[in-house]
Amino acid sequence: MHPLEEFYLQQTRREMLGRTAGGLGAAALLSLLGKTGSAASESGTAKGLPGLPHFTPRAKRVIYLFMAGGPSHIDMFDYKPALNDIHGQELPESIRNGQRITGMTSGQKSFPCVAPMFNFQRVGERGTWMNTDLLPYTASIADDISIIRSMNTEAINHDPAITYINTGTQQLGRPSLGAWLSYGLGSENENLPAYVTMISVGAKPGQALFSRLWSSGFLPSKHQGVQFRSAGDPVLYLSNPNGLSANMRRHMLDGIAELNRARFDEVGDPEIQARIAQYEMAYRMQTSVPDLMDTTDETKATYEKYGPQSEKKGTFAANCLLARRLAERGVPFIQLFHRGWDQHGNLPNELRTNCLSVDQPAAALVQDLKERGLLEDTMIIFGGEFGRTIYSQGTLTKDNYGRDHHGRCFSTWVCGGGFKPGIDHGETDDYSYNIIKDPVHINDLNASILHNLGINHKRLTYKYQGLDQRLTGVEEHHPVKEILL
Amino acid sequence: MFHFNLLRFTVVLTLVLSASRSWAGEIVFSRDIRPILSDKCFFCHGPDPDQREAELRLDLQEQAHASAIVPGSLEDSALIARITSADPDTQMPPAESGKKLNSQEIDLLKAWVQQGAKYQSHWAFSSPTQLETATESDWVRNPIDAFVYERLNQQQLSPQAEADRRTLIRRVTFDLTGLPPTLEEVSNFLNDNSPTAYENVVDRLLKSPHYGERMAVMWMDAARYGDTSVFHADGPRDMWAWRDWVVQAYNKNLSFDKFSIYQLAGDLLPDATLEQKLASGFNRNNGTTDEGGAIAEEYRVEYAVDRVKTTSNIWMGLTMECSQCHDHKYDPITLTDYYSMYAFFNISADNGMQTRNGNEAPLLEIPNTENLKKLPQVREQLASTTEQIEARKTEIEPAFQTWLTEATTKALAEATTGRHLDVDPVHRFAFEEESENQISCTFTEDLKGTFNGKVERTEGHRGRGLKLAGGYVEVGDIGNFERDTQFSVSTWVKPAKSSSGAIIARMDSPNGHRGYDLFLQGGSIAMHIINTWPTNAVKVTTKKQLEFDKWQHVVATYDGTSKAAGVKIYINGENWDWNIEQDHLSETIRTEKTFLIGTRHGGALMQGEVDEISLFDRMLSPEEAKTLAEDNPLPSLLAIAPEHRTESQLQQLRQHYLTKLDAPYQQLLEQRDAFTKQIAELQKPLTTVMMMADMGTPRETFILKRGAYDSPSDTKVEPNTPAFLPAMFEGAPRNRLGLAQWLFQPNNPLTARVAVNRYWQMLFGNGLVTTLADFGSQGDFPTHPELLDWLAVDFEQSGWDVQRMLKQIVMSATYRQSSHTSVDSYQSDSANRHLARGARFRLQGEFVRDNALFLSGLLVDRLGGPGVKPYQPPGLWEEVGLSGEPKFTQDTGEALYRRSLYTYWKRSAPPPSMQIFDAPTREKCTIQRPRTNTPLQALVTLNDVQFVEASRHFAERILKLEGDDTSRLSSAFQQTTARLPDAHEQTVLLNILKHARENYASDLEAAQALLSQGESARDAALEPIEHAAWTVVTSSLLNLDETLNRE
Repeated sequence: MHPLEEFYLQQTRREMLGRTAGGLGAAALLSLLGKTGSAASESGTAKGLPGLPHFTPRAKRVIYLFMAGGPSHIDMFDYKPALNDIHGQELPESIRNGQRITGMTSGQKSFPCVAPMFNFQRVGERGTWMNTDLLPYTASIADDISIIRSMNTEAINHDPAITYINTGTQQLGRPSLGAWLSYGLGSENENLPAYVTMISVGAKPGQALFSRLWSSGFLPSKHQGVQFRSAGDPVLYLSNPNGLSANMRRHMLDGIAELNRARFDEVGDPEIQARIAQYEMAYRMQTSVPDLMDTTDETKATYEKYGPQSEKKGTFAANCLLARRLAERGVPFIQLFHRGWDQHGNLPNELRTNCLSVDQPAAALVQDLKERGLLEDTMIIFGGEFGRTIYSQGTLTKDNYGRDHHGRCFSTWVCGGGFKPGIDHGETDDYSYNIIKDPVHINDLNASILHNLGINHKRLTYKYQGLDQRLTGVEEHHPVKEILL
Repeated sequence: MFHFNLLRFTVVLTLVLSASRSWAGEIVFSRDIRPILSDKCFFCHGPDPDQREAELRLDLQEQAHASAIVPGSLEDSALIARITSADPDTQMPPAESGKKLNSQEIDLLKAWVQQGAKYQSHWAFSSPTQLETATESDWVRNPIDAFVYERLNQQQLSPQAEADRRTLIRRVTFDLTGLPPTLEEVSNFLNDNSPTAYENVVDRLLKSPHYGERMAVMWMDAARYGDTSVFHADGPRDMWAWRDWVVQAYNKNLSFDKFSIYQLAGDLLPDATLEQKLASGFNRNNGTTDEGGAIAEEYRVEYAVDRVKTTSNIWMGLTMECSQCHDHKYDPITLTDYYSMYAFFNISADNGMQTRNGNEAPLLEIPNTENLKKLPQVREQLASTTEQIEARKTEIEPAFQTWLTEATTKALAEATTGRHLDVDPVHRFAFEEESENQISCTFTEDLKGTFNGKVERTEGHRGRGLKLAGGYVEVGDIGNFERDTQFSVSTWVKPAKSSSGAIIARMDSPNGHRGYDLFLQGGSIAMHIINTWPTNAVKVTTKKQLEFDKWQHVVATYDGTSKAAGVKIYINGENWDWNIEQDHLSETIRTEKTFLIGTRHGGALMQGEVDEISLFDRMLSPEEAKTLAEDNPLPSLLAIAPEHRTESQLQQLRQHYLTKLDAPYQQLLEQRDAFTKQIAELQKPLTTVMMMADMGTPRETFILKRGAYDSPSDTKVEPNTPAFLPAMFEGAPRNRLGLAQWLFQPNNPLTARVAVNRYWQMLFGNGLVTTLADFGSQGDFPTHPELLDWLAVDFEQSGWDVQRMLKQIVMSATYRQSSHTSVDSYQSDSANRHLARGARFRLQGEFVRDNALFLSGLLVDRLGGPGVKPYQPPGLWEEVGLSGEPKFTQDTGEALYRRSLYTYWKRSAPPPSMQIFDAPTREKCTIQRPRTNTPLQALVTLNDVQFVEASRHFAERILKLEGDDTSRLSSAFQQTTARLPDAHEQTVLLNILKHARENYASDLEAAQALLSQGESARDAALEPIEHAAWTVVTSSLLNLDETLNRE
């Protein structure tokens, strides 16, 4: 309790003591100050913070398609025909301009520029460039999505970069975007977690992920992302042990609840009531989660839309379909991780494989949500932790090359839920190396996501270590109004 | 029930009232005003000059009174005008700050200004003093209670009565050991009528080895202990010996100052002991990177930053890390202060780029003390065997002479018949002589070879040999063969692992490698015959490889044709196939350079052992190669007439007799080898830990602009403690040791307060200062400032005696209060800040699991050792691991049932059941865990195989008790909660039992399925339906709120 509250508590208590019995006044005052006991704040009724949203939200939920490893913006979204003119030429020092590069290429003697070895076309009404070899389905939704070509981050290696974009800082121990949202907004669905993550299986494992990417950091741990899995229990420990039927579980829980209620009468600790509620929610999850994961009620047409891999559990395509089902059930933050984008070498082949896994399902998700009227209040974000260099890592051959990490610029597409459809934002130089117009820092994007949810990113705070901590950190960051409706 | 009145005493403490201890309405700056100013104003009007607006500082009285505040006058004080203004242009705090003052806060500020706007220095930055009080109550058991009682009195509250003995023993047993009491312990306590009954329990618990484990669990979060390296690959490391030291340190009640100084600077203590060095591993627990593209300096700086944070959070209760980029917004910590602290750690010897697999230097080997105890005995046995070996050498002389005479006669006869092959080298080196730095030729005693570098006599293939361990032998001008002449070389060789280098050579490497050699190339044998490498040379390399660390015989022969085909290589007498690497030789191979053993001139040194090197000026036949390999020079030696034999040849014959013909001698040798091996084995370290060390030449420290590793400023700083706190004593070393000692200087205001506050939190669920790691201006004001200070001073005066402090707290009436009150009590003071009741809170995750294992009887009662991997759902490591690695391999057997302290802690994917129960990842120092109550926790205790298996073993134990359902239930209930069930509880639980029985009676298969959860066997004698039904009951017991809590 804040000392001042306590101070008032005493004042009030003293005043009231003359008239009434002891404790009553205190309890009344506590509710007056908007404070509730810890039990209530921890209970399963996952409503968000009072005063939130700060203003009318455009979106109710987010589906973040996170491409871990650093997808090559140059080979996917940030094309310009002039790239062909510099193919094979050394990257001019005036472009790199002394900027640091990773230890993997800093020893290279030569930095030959590489133009993408794919076909690009102008697509959509605005005629935006896109790799139509690899992203034909994404090209077909060009008018729904907006491409930010000026994303940037200070980090140049995976571990700091992926931590940065997911938690707003390179420091460890901070809450992830999803945890902040769970803390701020709660969830309208009491039977499912507010923050669900899924990791594609079958993709090349590639760079490491860390539980810190969906952790609650210094926020209460109930806000951490709950991973839904395609194999084993869909949520850890969800299933009753073999030999213990649902009926028996129900009977057992009834007994436990009865004993807990009696204990509450004896002890008076409201945490006991919270425990009873949590056990009930656990029981409900035993039904609601399998119900969500069981996609047998989906039509053949739906599977076809999401592509051939969508019937195979755990694939990115299957996870996209589940993401839609989660969105339908009101889960506010859904994050899919797809690994394997770290093409230091053999880029043409590996990029093709990755795009084959993600292109159709991601586009299908957009269309599916649109058809169901959900796209309006659901944001979809597709992007990774950084981009890749214009120069080749290792030897550039006639049909093969690699690219190192590049944080100075990269491309992310956004759509739905408050984002303008069908525009391009930001511009890079002729080498897709530096941003020349409208830079969007990763925390500007985070601020924009919060904005669409009706949150002023500067006012979603949590006091930790004496500071009002927030997702977007201490530097100045702003929602990118040009891309917002 | 025994009445405690007998042992109650009345504490009358005489206290001097201080200004800060009145709670009767007077405004106290530290408690009432500073928190408002700090939270709402200091960001722009506080210590950080870069953020300061309008040149106004509100954190210092003098500056505030000089401008915004006129003491006593609301009208003249701009502060009041601005905070009460309705005009958005002048209103403070401004809207964009997101901060707002409520009307109570405004009233408080007004009242404070009216009363004179007096400032106090921040309470935590002045040394604590022990106040005295005059509190008289028979509730009071010790001084702690006097302070608490006084506050309760002021609040018109009364303390709760003491908890009943069952609740009390369960509470204190969990608090001090993390485990429940046994039924026997409960009943002993109930039956102990002595006035010291409770104290006896406390003393017993503090002596328990589980006390150290319990305390270590808390310390692991703070010390960011893990079994993996955190960044990027998050690979394995071995720091468990350090963790075990922590347990031992608590168990031997190492004083807190030593406990701390060893960990912060054990390596720097004069004549540091193994324990002290080991303890310094504390600061190697930080996360490290191995990422290929990482910039080493960036991470080296990160490690130093982490160490500053950890040190300041744990010992100072300060968030110094906030000042890495700018002066602190709220506390008087400047950039210079930060980097002066950072300078202590900026000179650490460990690198920025570290390994993803194992430990990184500086390392400390931890001896295997158990094994070392056996060492003297084995050494004695070895010495005795060596003596016997020496003795045997003379004992055999008569028998040897007899044999020699007979054998010589026979050999001379055979030699004339030509039955023995005459393998006659030009030069032969048997290495039997005694010299420490020279060898001599067996035939020509004045042909000597001289040791260079590390060359040792060793036990050879036969008799003595040479060990080349970084050296070679220069022999002189022998073996000067030409490409058109035949020659051969023969040797025994025992290569060390992965060694490359010439075994013998006459070669001039700098001069086109002219010459020849016999070359060990990894495991292969090569021969070079070279004019100019590689254009004019012959080289062949065997396809197969020699074995390492084993004697093998090598012969190479050359037929003088200048062709690769003219080279043959025999290993152990067998002709080995080779690959041709060069086959163009047309000019001389002669060189002025001398003949060497173990290298060539200007070449790599061979690593390994050699024996019996011979040179021949002809090409040996396959039969001769075989004969040499068969190791039988005997015929030649015996065929020398006795009068012509040299002493060295006689010695060889004696050696032959001993090693081949004298069985007792052979046994003794075997014995000696066994003992030597055993000694080496016993001396092997148990494990290593990473320890702290400073660089030989310290790096200079410059303030980093905006905290960026690559933006050092010109401002150089020296290692120092923050300027706003008392200075380091004169003459104190300006290194980590000085820093550690400074924390324990008598005038340090923070260390003792911060430490006792953590103990308080451990025992009450909340600290007296609720922000455990922030004693700065944004931290919470203590609920009982005088009590905190009293404890702090007491702790220091006791010599930082941790167990004494814990005992004092758990002996207090405050601690012993009942937690059973009313909803109203909980709701009016949910955090129990008034301490008007006993604390009741959920056990931390580790103890929830340990409790289940304990009740099941599965818990393995053993301390220490490497982290273990009990059950966890499949795939958790793989789905996040770098390239899907490493994979989780679950342990089996005992490792499944160790205390949770010992669970392997992978920091990118921590044990899920612990994480669900609020355990941090331990990537960073964590002082305070949240304590939540979630559905996922219910799923763990209901469904995790660890808990289901524990339930069925718990049921097994219950079923083995004599008695009916009711008495068995009563025992199970008592073991779980330490109390007897009431009638209602019995009814409900028996109803669960009945329902489960009925259910399983009709579904035996289900019963068996439930009973096969987990890897441990079940007692097959138990009837499965009964066993399964009782498993449902015990699982229900493990899921009671009461079980999950300590009340």
